[in-house]
Amino acid sequence: MDSALIARSVRRCSFGRFALWLAPWLGVLGVGAWALWLCLRYGLYQTNMDNRYVFGLWIFLDLSIIALGAGAFFTGFLLYVMKKRELKAVIGSAVVLGFICYSAAMALLAVDVGQPLRAWFTYWHPNAHSMLTEVTFCITCYLTVLLIEYVPVILKTRKLRQIPAYAVFEWELHKLVPVFALIGTLLSFFHQGSLGGLFGVLRGRPFAFREGFALWPSTFFLFILSAAAVGPSFILLTTWTVEKLTGRRLVKDDVYRLLCKVSGWLLLTYVGAKAVDTMIWINATAPRAGFEAYNFYLQKPFGPGTLMVEVLLLGLLPALLLLRGAKEGGLAMINGAALACAGIVLNRFVMTIQTLALPTLPFDRFLWYVPSWQENAAFGAMLAYGVIVYSFSYRYLILFPQEKELSRHVS
Amino acid sequence: MFPNVSGWSWTPLHVTFVTIFLTVAAVMAGTLLLAAWRAWRDVRRGRAESIRWHSEFEDLPLADRTCRHVLTNEFLHRTCDQGFDCRECATHARWTENHPAAAAVDFEVAGLKYPADRMYHRGHTWVKVEDGGTLLIGPDALSERMFGRIGSLTLPAVGTTLHACAPAWTIRSRGDTFRVLSPVDGEVVEQGGPEQACYLRVRPSEHPPALTHLLRGSEVRPWVLRELERLQLLVSPGLPSLADGGVLAEDLPAMSPDVNWPAVWGQMLLEP
Amino acid sequence: MKPKRYGMVIDVDRCYGCGACMVACAVENNVPPPQSSASARTGITPMRVSEARNGKAFPESELAFIPMMCQQCGEHTPCVSVCPQLAVDVDPNTGIVSQIPERCLGCRYCMAACPYHARYFNWWDPQWPAGMERTLNPEVAPRMRGVVEKCRFCHGRLQAAQSKAAAAGHKDIDPADYVPACAEACPTGAIQFGDLLDAGSDVAQAAKGPNTFRLLEKIGTDSHVHYVSKREWVRDMGGAAKGVKHG
Repeated sequence: MDSALIARSVRRCSFGRFALWLAPWLGVLGVGAWALWLCLRYGLYQTNMDNRYVFGLWIFLDLSIIALGAGAFFTGFLLYVMKKRELKAVIGSAVVLGFICYSAAMALLAVDVGQPLRAWFTYWHPNAHSMLTEVTFCITCYLTVLLIEYVPVILKTRKLRQIPAYAVFEWELHKLVPVFALIGTLLSFFHQGSLGGLFGVLRGRPFAFREGFALWPSTFFLFILSAAAVGPSFILLTTWTVEKLTGRRLVKDDVYRLLCKVSGWLLLTYVGAKAVDTMIWINATAPRAGFEAYNFYLQKPFGPGTLMVEVLLLGLLPALLLLRGAKEGGLAMINGAALACAGIVLNRFVMTIQTLALPTLPFDRFLWYVPSWQENAAFGAMLAYGVIVYSFSYRYLILFPQEKELSRHVS
Repeated sequence: MFPNVSGWSWTPLHVTFVTIFLTVAAVMAGTLLLAAWRAWRDVRRGRAESIRWHSEFEDLPLADRTCRHVLTNEFLHRTCDQGFDCRECATHARWTENHPAAAAVDFEVAGLKYPADRMYHRGHTWVKVEDGGTLLIGPDALSERMFGRIGSLTLPAVGTTLHACAPAWTIRSRGDTFRVLSPVDGEVVEQGGPEQACYLRVRPSEHPPALTHLLRGSEVRPWVLRELERLQLLVSPGLPSLADGGVLAEDLPAMSPDVNWPAVWGQMLLEP
Repeated sequence: MKPKRYGMVIDVDRCYGCGACMVACAVENNVPPPQSSASARTGITPMRVSEARNGKAFPESELAFIPMMCQQCGEHTPCVSVCPQLAVDVDPNTGIVSQIPERCLGCRYCMAACPYHARYFNWWDPQWPAGMERTLNPEVAPRMRGVVEKCRFCHGRLQAAQSKAAAAGHKDIDPADYVPACAEACPTGAIQFGDLLDAGSDVAQAAKGPNTFRLLEKIGTDSHVHYVSKREWVRDMGGAAKGVKHG
């Protein structure tokens, strides 16, 4: 039914099957949209956030998907600035994923703040000292960059590429794409870092507070490093998942190997830096604020095991797996990538939820937090939105240029 | 934002911060506008079709972009970097100066006839120069077999300007709308059809017409053989092997309906 | 006019947790009635009395009540530097940390930054049942849904005192005219309020007295709220939270 929109040299399932695939996701999106509307209409009391857990599931998710979406800028940087030509095979997918991650995060943020219509105040009364201002500006600009990078992918769709004016615009835009890749890299560097800085500057939260360099605490640099490390892993994981779901080969092995290698080495560096940072925090920063670090880990379930899991099981182990995967491919690659992503998500969880869970005053208690159905539904909506946009992009756009070559039989 | 309004004051930090972001925004906007302006300029200068083709060309797999001189074993390995537009190619000009192609002969392979009085475009169309300077163009034997019995054919109207490697006529068949590329630059003066001697009569845009990009003479046979090999790779195992001695059927799609023919046409006729 | 540093000295030993200060604060500041399912974790209590125990078993077990409000941090004020909209500011003339509800986006970053958990968010639309609007204090603006609020040392009363002084032609206010609602309501006089820089004032002298401490002093917030207790275990509260094992 929609075969005229699908590129000639690739095979896609029938529109009926596609609609069947989309249906449950649209359902989830609908429920989530309803939950979000409830929050906008009745206030954030619809969530289970409270005066202690001022940031909950949503902020944790936002930080996680922005870290995972770092694959977009990093792949762009490696391809257009470092000239790693193999990554042409995944740049389309990376850009779409980046766009999905950042647009979903922004949408969720718009509901998470108490007065969304006042969002422009940050631009009009910016507080240059605040990490959140830096985040706001950077992410706004970066979302624009992603949109600009998404446009050529859309213009290459079968119907649109036939129109000479669009083809010419895409051509001219593509010639200038290194500029956007560089800007994207710069902006990402700063906002990934600032997201880490958000918690690192909190003097009032010694669990999260870190010393650093000039305006920026060590978490600023750790977040950049971890985002750059997990970005390629996420691209790897999503590409592999799409291959499995569609039953098609989409990229050649050397692309996977490169992503593994980059991710593995960066993750290893990150684990080393994090270990050093943690030692400094345990021995100097926290005691200086009057907090012995071991006290933070006396609250179940956040025992010292959390730290070990984050740094070793989901940090060092995936780094080694990825490096092995870079040589051998296979399961080491996928497991490494999945564990790396999990590790970074855990790190974001620790920086948000655990930071807020731990009391600062001696007579305050440790409190629990469980997200409300509205919060969970909103998470579902975000996921569904991502799947739907990606599904449409995969079906009608050329996200994987090597697919043509790799599908040897056209029948 | 304004000094002393709501307690605002410009500190060096604020100035730095806002300046950086305005610069970033300006660079982004400027680059976008530059791309748009360049695109508009290209369209105005009539380069739109040429750029469209070059953009498409770069998306073709490497193996499909082989230089014509590799087909004739004159070069070992070379990928065309001119979009098959040998008129612009310095290497081609130098080579043909020293090694002119041998004279053309009629030949037939696998039942496909390639007369010597024509020149051939990589998009599987032929061009014949008439005495009056006009050109006749039509589909070559291989593309006729690949399309078989077509649903409908739409020829460009008289007076339409054609560009080399831009769409000429449109074929609707097997649920696909396929645009066949024109081999030459020129203006349509007469329409023909499948039953007639040619599909189109074209007045070329230059006199004498620039046709160095078309295959001729002894180049044609190795090219056709190679294209048959490519076709076989694309459709196997849907078609029985085209081993020596076989004759290509008149209507390939009818013979092997399971093959994704639009994809095959796209790969073979350079319109993916 | 010399800048002031308004602060408090709270005698923990005198506080027996009656909560009169909390009620007075809510009434003075037009705190809206909570939703029926609101809890201690979602309610707005700019003044909030916390309970502390010494952790010992009977008969050594002891209890203390610690009135908590915005500590009006003087140094590295955590909430000021983090607000992306500059909706929080320290008034250099009074040392009071302000909050501009009209500019607040409701991002709650300041709440994450505050180590004293002294900031509260309007999780729902404030609504007063019919008739209750007559209890509203006309000198304090109510806040809308989705913004953060906190103790501002009854800023409305400061402005009233300033108006009164200006009307009488004085440059400076009469300290007796500016007493926050909590200090006024406390039946035991546990809350003393005044200018910490005024060497002659009771509060400045009490702040220098023995057995005073501030909460989380090592973080370096230079809070303007001092606490006094003769009990050593209470003074140890000035230190950090020591982890409590949860079963």
